[in-house]
Amino acid sequence: MDIKIDENLDITDVVCPVTFVKTKVALDELDDGQILAVRLNDGEPVQNVPRSVKEEGHQILKLLHNDDGTYTLLVKKVDDE
Amino acid sequence: MAFTNEQLERYSRHILLKEVGAKGQKKLLNGKVLIIGAGGLGAPIALYLAAAGVGAIGIADLDTVDLSNLQRQVIHTTADIGKAKVQSAKETMQAINPDVQVNTYQIYVNAASIMDLIQDYDFIIDGTDNFAAKFLINDACVLQKKPFSHAGILRFGGQLMTYVPGEGPCYRCVFREPPPPDAIPTCRQAGVVGAMGGVIGSLQAMEAIKFLIGKGDLLTGKLLTYDALTMEFRRIKLPGRKDCAVCGEHPSITEPFDYEVPACDLKAEGESHENSPEL
Amino acid sequence: MTIIVAGDKKEYAEGTTLAALIEKENIDSPQYVTVSLNDDFVESGAFADTVLKDGDNIEFLYFMGGGA
Repeated sequence: MDIKIDENLDITDVVCPVTFVKTKVALDELDDGQILAVRLNDGEPVQNVPRSVKEEGHQILKLLHNDDGTYTLLVKKVDDE
Repeated sequence: MAFTNEQLERYSRHILLKEVGAKGQKKLLNGKVLIIGAGGLGAPIALYLAAAGVGAIGIADLDTVDLSNLQRQVIHTTADIGKAKVQSAKETMQAINPDVQVNTYQIYVNAASIMDLIQDYDFIIDGTDNFAAKFLINDACVLQKKPFSHAGILRFGGQLMTYVPGEGPCYRCVFREPPPPDAIPTCRQAGVVGAMGGVIGSLQAMEAIKFLIGKGDLLTGKLLTYDALTMEFRRIKLPGRKDCAVCGEHPSITEPFDYEVPACDLKAEGESHENSPEL
Repeated sequence: MTIIVAGDKKEYAEGTTLAALIEKENIDSPQYVTVSLNDDFVESGAFADTVLKDGDNIEFLYFMGGGA
């Protein structure tokens, strides 16, 4: 499956809750159906950020394990308003 | 406007909320709220709105900080005694949040000054302590179609309502005219628990925030009353009044005017009084 | 008959007027209290002539002028 990424975000330099806050703000800027790629750290971020994104109603497409130990989360924005 | 990392962290607890989010926080940062009175109600209102990142906050009060204010006016400290309340409030607000622009008006808000004063603001908050000011703020806001929050506190009680043009009754619909001078006790004569300003002022700040972000139901057409002794909140439905002198079908009030402030509510020697004329 | 006075259900005799209710309820300074009956304000001049009926909802709205 080929996924076209509309926006990239790196949250490896921040900690909770700013990790999810930054993700949420980036998603707020997108239109319905656009894709955000989020680079995040192992541990707490990879446990919590995908779950919080899902709770907001967005669609998780993929969670990729990168060679440097980080992850890339691909999220499709769902705008229900 | 993009958030800085510092703003994302500062406002994270707002942005996390579905009802606020980045959009709502931007609305707050672009919002303009005027607080009339930097006293028992005005203090918590100003603190919470500054902390929330409301972009421009106006604060109007003629008085200086007095020792007897400190039991409840939590924005001022002992070191501020003698300082203009608006200046003391501004310093505290900017210490909490340098993002916020604080406009100070060390004036007596009256019929001559109120129309210009409220003009540039999105939402007005009545934190005054006398009926003349409360009716003046109501009339000016109705005439200029400005939403505002009204509140009163006394002893162990407090109440508030919100006016939004076209969406419900105004304060004058409920209470047509101020009571005769000295017919109804004021905090000055009857006392008030300091925390009452915190309870009711925080609710007024909440109304301003909800109005700015456009979420939830405001207290339009409702009077929320609070009795601290019985710990009872009541939300009383308010009828409208078609013949209201200011917001009715044929208004007789077409410009703001001043009522006389009762003699015992005027500034006494060595005492301070929100929004009272200088004697 | 049962009427609702400031949120509480109360029993009053048929034919009770608003003026009588205000006296029974010990409303302080009634001349400065705004009264709403169901969805309308009642003018103070009409208290004596307003006969309450079963199910009426009466609210008393009091001046509160403090804030500083």
